[in-house]
Amino acid sequence: MPKVETFFQLTPESAQHRALQTRMFDTSDEKELLSASAAVLQDLGFQIEESSTEMGMLRAAKERGAREYGQEIMQSLVFILGALGGKAVIMPVDVHQQISATLVTRRSETDASRYSVRILFHRSVWKGDGSTGDQHIPPGQQSLEMIHDAKIYQQFFAKLSKGVFLEAHKI
Amino acid sequence: MNARTGLLILGLALLLQACVGGAQKPPKELLALNDAQMKIRSFQTRAFDAKDQNKVLRGVVAALQDLGFIVERANGPMGLVTAGKFGPNGRGFVELTVTVRAKGEEQTEVRVNALFNTKPIEDPKIYQNFFTAVERSLFISRG
Repeated sequence: MPKVETFFQLTPESAQHRALQTRMFDTSDEKELLSASAAVLQDLGFQIEESSTEMGMLRAAKERGAREYGQEIMQSLVFILGALGGKAVIMPVDVHQQISATLVTRRSETDASRYSVRILFHRSVWKGDGSTGDQHIPPGQQSLEMIHDAKIYQQFFAKLSKGVFLEAHKI
Repeated sequence: MNARTGLLILGLALLLQACVGGAQKPPKELLALNDAQMKIRSFQTRAFDAKDQNKVLRGVVAALQDLGFIVERANGPMGLVTAGKFGPNGRGFVELTVTVRAKGEEQTEVRVNALFNTKPIEDPKIYQNFFTAVERSLFISRG
C-alpha cells in the first residue's frame, strides 16, 4: 500500500521535471501559443481531446502498438523453461499503449509580456492475455508511467519554437 | 400442528420481507450533513487573498502539474479542475476535483475533494500538503 500522504508532496525531482517540461516565450499572445501547440501535437499524430482557452489548457492523446522485441523474447524463454518444467506458461506482454500530453500556458509572474508553456507526457500500457498451465490470464492489465525522457520534450519545444517563430527559453 | 407451522412460516416470511424491504430503502440521513462531513469540508477548503479566480485556478493547475498530476478537465468560467495520478509503481489511483469561487470581495475560496481508489481521503494532513503546493505556486514568482 503506497503512502497516501506523499501524493501532495513535492519530491526532490519536482523542480528538475518542471525545468524539463517548461519553456518561456517572449509573447503575450496566449491564444497563438495554444493554437501553435495544438498544431505541433497534430503534426506528432495526437488527437486533441480537451481544450480550454480561458485556462490555457490542452489535452491530447495518440494510440500506438506497444510490442517490444525484448518482451517477446522473454515470453518465449519463459514458455520454453515452463515447458521443460512441465507447465506451459504464456506470459502476458504489452500490446497497446496510449501516449497522452497535457499542456498548460501561463503568464509569467514577473514579466507580463512572457508566457510559459508546460507540457507533461505520459503513457498507459495495456497487456495482452496469457496463461499459466490451464489458467487463463485475462488481457487488459494496465500500467501508467510519466515520460521523463529529455529528448521528447526537446523535440516538442523545438517544433513549437518554429511554429510561433520565437525562441523557447529554458526556465 | 400443521396450521401452527404454516403460521410460523408466514410470520418468518413477513419478517424477512420487512428486513429486506428495510435494506432497500435509502437511509434518511443519506443527504444530511453530519459533524464528520462538516469537519472534512473545513480542511478541504481554504480562502486565498486574491480577487482573480482565473489566476487562482491557473495556480492550482500549475501546482497539480508540479505534483505530477494529469489534468483531465478544466473549465474556466465554472472554476473547475479535475485531475488524477497513479501511485508509485502504478499502484493505486488518486483523483481530485477542485472548485474555485469568489468569497466576498477580496478573497477566493478553493475547495478540493480527493479520492484514493475511489474512496474519499479524510486525512487533514494530505489536504494541508495540497494547499501548501497551491500557495507556493500562487505566490512564488517564477522566471
